[in-house]
Amino acid sequence: MIDFIQNTLDGLTAGASYALLGVGFTLIFGVLRRANLSYGPAIMFGAYLATWASFSFKGLLLLAAIAVAGTVLAGVYVERLCFAPHRRGPAAAAMVASFAIWMQLEEFATLLLPRHLYAFPALYEGGPLNFGPFFVRVESLLILLAAVATCIAGWGILYATRFGIAVRAVIDDPRAAELSGINVGAVSLRVFAAASAIGGLTGFLIVASHEQVTPMLGMWSTLKGMLAMMLGGLGSLPGAIAGGLALGLIEAHSQWYLGPQFRDFIAYLLLFALLAARPRWMNTRSAY
Amino acid sequence: MDEYAIGVLTSIGLLSFVAASAYLLLTAGELSFGQQGFFGVGAYSGGIATAMLGLPLPVGILMAMLFGAAAAALVGLSTLRLRGLHFAMATLAAAEMLRILFELFHWQMEVGGETVGPDGTQGFRGIRWVFERGVEPLGFLFIVYGMLAFMVLCFVFLERSKLGATLRALGEDPQLAGMLGIDVLRLKLAVVAAAGALAALGGALFAHHNTYIEPRNFDIMLGVHSLAYALIGGLGTVFGPLLGVALDLGVLEGTRFFQGYRMIVFGGLVALLLVWRPRGLLDERFVHWLRTRR
Repeated sequence: MIDFIQNTLDGLTAGASYALLGVGFTLIFGVLRRANLSYGPAIMFGAYLATWASFSFKGLLLLAAIAVAGTVLAGVYVERLCFAPHRRGPAAAAMVASFAIWMQLEEFATLLLPRHLYAFPALYEGGPLNFGPFFVRVESLLILLAAVATCIAGWGILYATRFGIAVRAVIDDPRAAELSGINVGAVSLRVFAAASAIGGLTGFLIVASHEQVTPMLGMWSTLKGMLAMMLGGLGSLPGAIAGGLALGLIEAHSQWYLGPQFRDFIAYLLLFALLAARPRWMNTRSAY
Repeated sequence: MDEYAIGVLTSIGLLSFVAASAYLLLTAGELSFGQQGFFGVGAYSGGIATAMLGLPLPVGILMAMLFGAAAAALVGLSTLRLRGLHFAMATLAAAEMLRILFELFHWQMEVGGETVGPDGTQGFRGIRWVFERGVEPLGFLFIVYGMLAFMVLCFVFLERSKLGATLRALGEDPQLAGMLGIDVLRLKLAVVAAAGALAALGGALFAHHNTYIEPRNFDIMLGVHSLAYALIGGLGTVFGPLLGVALDLGVLEGTRFFQGYRMIVFGGLVALLLVWRPRGLLDERFVHWLRTRR
């Protein structure tokens, strides 16, 4: 029982970062109806810039700002090159273009820092907190806190500002939004930038809590973000958060009970089974 | 020809099979992130057939295609009604499950005083049928390109047949195709299985070319690359995906001019190319123009 609760705690804290990645993915998917494969590599680009900067100074806030700025820069570049030209065309072209830029961003990052592993300044120097027999890392709590804060801020923007109304109109029906005078291209670009900012912050929190970066960060973020988005039913923000937390829980429990190799297997199996069964909340009707 | 050129040409031929399988699905309107899984099924079953069961390579290739088609049909059966990103993610999940299963797959036996067979993450060594028969690299190149030529011939016939037109109709608008009396689900299942067999054929040849395979060979990078090859080369003809592979491997690997900056140059070019031609270099319009001009 103690193991079960400890695993659940670990799963939820890992799930918090998946939830953040899923939220970023879902925001982009919502306005563009396209999966942005280079979301993870853009996060990796920002994290690599921050790592490179950390050789000269260690201020965590400044490093976080660099990670966010780098990711937003890469994200806007991706939007302009891969998504703005394909807003009306087939989705395949936009996805393949974003994959091409994935390769480009990864090479940029590895040219900047060619080694396989780099240390990153720790988010928190102390040890984990103890609650009776259980322990929780402070870093994980910070990520959880960031996830909650992001959701509240996102909610506020979406439901209480004019820009939020425009975003929701575009998500609902891009054509109708355009006809009612909303500049869909500008909304897409801003949402892309906002999602990238969330991604940059998430990337910073992840590498600072692991205290290292590797070139796997790009692919890892894309896969986890897409999984969280899909498990949450594709296209709803609360769904993406639930999907991310669920992914964390599944991974933690299957790793404990079935062994490390089943950690990813069960998550993919569940996604496959859900897609095959097509429960009503999954919204499997909309193409792309 | 020097050894290096033969190596690059062989790789182009091997990847052309996966690219063609992604192309086949794209013409039927489906996007798969999972062709690498069936490529892996082909590599493992082809390797097991020749290195462990002592069967000749042609039988091994047939077995690989059979297993690849069966695996793809199984995935296809459960995902037939999915479209777009849902189908892509379902195929990705299936391929990742296959990759993890390869990591868990241990089955070794003594052959000629040596232990061979899949050994989980350690991979599968000693698939040496081609070398034991004294086939030179050039000879193997001819085998690969012979099979590729046969595949292209089949595609050319397919695309001139009624079935080919039906396939395009399915890709354009499945709802309309259904209303025209096309059995959409059955046709889609057949396409998914055929694409699985094609990817598996490439995988079996890949295993015999490399003599060593490991689960990592079959990760998502291979699948998305094959998708990109098909889309860069063009969706108008089967020569499209072949051109895509040749462009990536041939021009950039062959010249070695952009050493270290290869993906920066190539990735940017691909994104720009897709702005200009969203359905690739040899797209339907261009192919139609080629066929009808006098």
